[in-house]
Amino acid sequence: MRGLSPDATDGVDRHATGELTVMLELSHFARRLPLALCCLLLSAAVVQSQKVMAQDAAAAQEILPGEPPFDCAKCHSRAEFLAGKTDTQEGDAALLVPDSIILASRHDTLACASCHPDQATIYPHEAPEGASRAVPCESCHEVQGTDWRASSHAVNVAEEGDAPTCVRCHGEHAVFSPEDRRSPTHPFNIAELCGGCHADPAIVGTYFAQPERVEAKAPVVQYFETVHGAALTRSGLVISATCNDCHDAHRVLAADSTNSRTNPDNIVETCGRCHVGIVETYEQSAHGVARAEGRRSLNDRPAPVCSDCHSSHSIVRADAQDWFVGIVEECGDCHAELYDTYSDTYHGKVTKLGYGLTAKCSDCHTPHAMYPPDDPRSSVHANNLVETCRRCHEGANENFAQYYSHANPKERTEYPKLFGTWLFMTILLVGVFGFFGLHTALWGLRLVIDRLRAAKEA
Amino acid sequence: MREPLSASERGEGPLYWRFSPLERTLHVLVIVSFMGLVITGIPLHFSYAPWARTLVRFLGGFQVAAFLHRVSAIIIFGYFLTHIGYVVYKLVTKPTLAERKAYLFGPDSMMPRRKDLEDLIQQFKWYVGRAERPRFDRFSYMEKFDYWAVFWGVTIIGGSGLLLWAPEFFSRFLPGWAFNIATIVHGDEALLALGFIFTIHFFNVHLRPEKFPIDLVIFTGRATETYMKEEHPLEYERLEREGRLEAREAPPVSRTLYLWSLVFGFAALALGLSLITLLIWTVLR
Repeated sequence: MRGLSPDATDGVDRHATGELTVMLELSHFARRLPLALCCLLLSAAVVQSQKVMAQDAAAAQEILPGEPPFDCAKCHSRAEFLAGKTDTQEGDAALLVPDSIILASRHDTLACASCHPDQATIYPHEAPEGASRAVPCESCHEVQGTDWRASSHAVNVAEEGDAPTCVRCHGEHAVFSPEDRRSPTHPFNIAELCGGCHADPAIVGTYFAQPERVEAKAPVVQYFETVHGAALTRSGLVISATCNDCHDAHRVLAADSTNSRTNPDNIVETCGRCHVGIVETYEQSAHGVARAEGRRSLNDRPAPVCSDCHSSHSIVRADAQDWFVGIVEECGDCHAELYDTYSDTYHGKVTKLGYGLTAKCSDCHTPHAMYPPDDPRSSVHANNLVETCRRCHEGANENFAQYYSHANPKERTEYPKLFGTWLFMTILLVGVFGFFGLHTALWGLRLVIDRLRAAKEA
Repeated sequence: MREPLSASERGEGPLYWRFSPLERTLHVLVIVSFMGLVITGIPLHFSYAPWARTLVRFLGGFQVAAFLHRVSAIIIFGYFLTHIGYVVYKLVTKPTLAERKAYLFGPDSMMPRRKDLEDLIQQFKWYVGRAERPRFDRFSYMEKFDYWAVFWGVTIIGGSGLLLWAPEFFSRFLPGWAFNIATIVHGDEALLALGFIFTIHFFNVHLRPEKFPIDLVIFTGRATETYMKEEHPLEYERLEREGRLEAREAPPVSRTLYLWSLVFGFAALALGLSLITLLIWTVLR
């Protein structure tokens, strides 16, 4: 008991004395000796534990305050010491940072002071006036810090609102590389991480320019239904695009920002980071060239980029039937006249019924390598047409390929034969229905008149 | 004026044969195949209509509808060839030239005559109260029109349908635009056919007050004396004059045949009227 405070010594003595007295009183009753022994052992254990606690308290007194660097782990690896240091249990728990966590993390070679320069030099840890409590990640991660400051995520960081700071996404002490399965920023975890806020109606409602667009179906929920999400969850492909692949990990910006990776002017480059071959084709296609030249469609829309046809958060497999059928409407948004004439064909009618079995725009015009029909590279150029038809109609020949896929029979000069047919059929229908309509109507009238007359006479 | 006379068993007097078992069977096939074609064809023609997807799904999907459409077409080609074969057979088995001529151009034939035009004009005069109602022989001009309309329809719709059925084959002989024309013709002719059958034919044969709600003669094959005198007086008088009336007398309709005729006839009528209502709504919408 040497070295213990007087208070502690007193306590132990009182206890020991009390127990011994009782024991002496009981010594006459030899049969109860075992019980007495048990009591003795118990009291000894109590004494020992109190002794240890008192030693810890004294040890803390000895090292603090003193000169830095402190041995942080001496306090921060002991839960019982940290208990009550903050107002909440969670706060206390956050202070508990055993060496094992740091050593297992990506930051295993860093000292506490590397990230907590102020705290490491001051005890008690209350920051002096004007000193920052923020963790200076940027001192090492400079590029990421700069990107993040330019992002939408940094917008309300000064007010310490809901802005996701470094630690919100990467964790505090258990920081892992994004390639590490345990990291919240690992491809398998990132959608859930982003969804923590972006699928939360309260946060979306507070910070988003068009919350109603997001709330209808949170993008994160939608993501898992997309081909990208399914590749991740069903096929286990970590190379599939996750939130950060398209939106950037740090320079996250709304699509209407010209610096955003998801801005229409930048999206081709963004998608092209993975879909290299497609973008190469696209950039040479009619759409890609028109986009590059800044030409606009008849209804004054810019040439389409990836996301115009493939949407963004509802990207589905291009061989899914629903997408097949839907894409025709997308093309029709700009190519209205071609859409109308297509809708008059067997191809178009079956598509309209929701079946992707007959030819759709991309089947004849290719999905990405579309060129004007007079371009020899075009799949619908006269030289290539038979081959294009043969993709479905194996027996197609020159005659077959002369079929007008986009004919308007009402255009007399362009399609005189079809116009003649249409005119003949229209006259025939109007003639027959007109004549027999009259025939039937007058007959009905005659019979009604006859019956009325007969009723009057009767 | 006439009393309502809506079915073969109505009216008075003995029954007379009007349609042979073959003719009745063929007409049932006409109805079945026509309905099959209409139901499987209109979702495609009106693919923009809100009900089109539902109907085609109800039929078992687009491929099933397409299959049933072709099955119905085969039935049509079947009855069409059967009828032509039958007519040719009857013609060549007639012993004399005079009989052959009578078979083709006589009052019992479907061949249009000068009298049909006169009847048509008289019918319109009757409408406006300027003439008596025209009196018809075995087939009125309306029945003849219906008959030839089927010929025209089967040729045009069936022919264009065949082109569209096997475009790769026919493109060996035909230019590509032939398929554009086939598409226009097939759809518009079909509209003409179903529009005509479900309104004009239905009114002329079943729905006009004297016959309302249904005329079962085509199913039972026999008509009453009253019916004959009202609808085909010239034929009745001709048979009477030639003493052939008794030979045409028919036994009463069996209860089974009557009930089947009633159920089938009303089902076809109801289906046709429902479809034409739907289509008129779709077009006017």
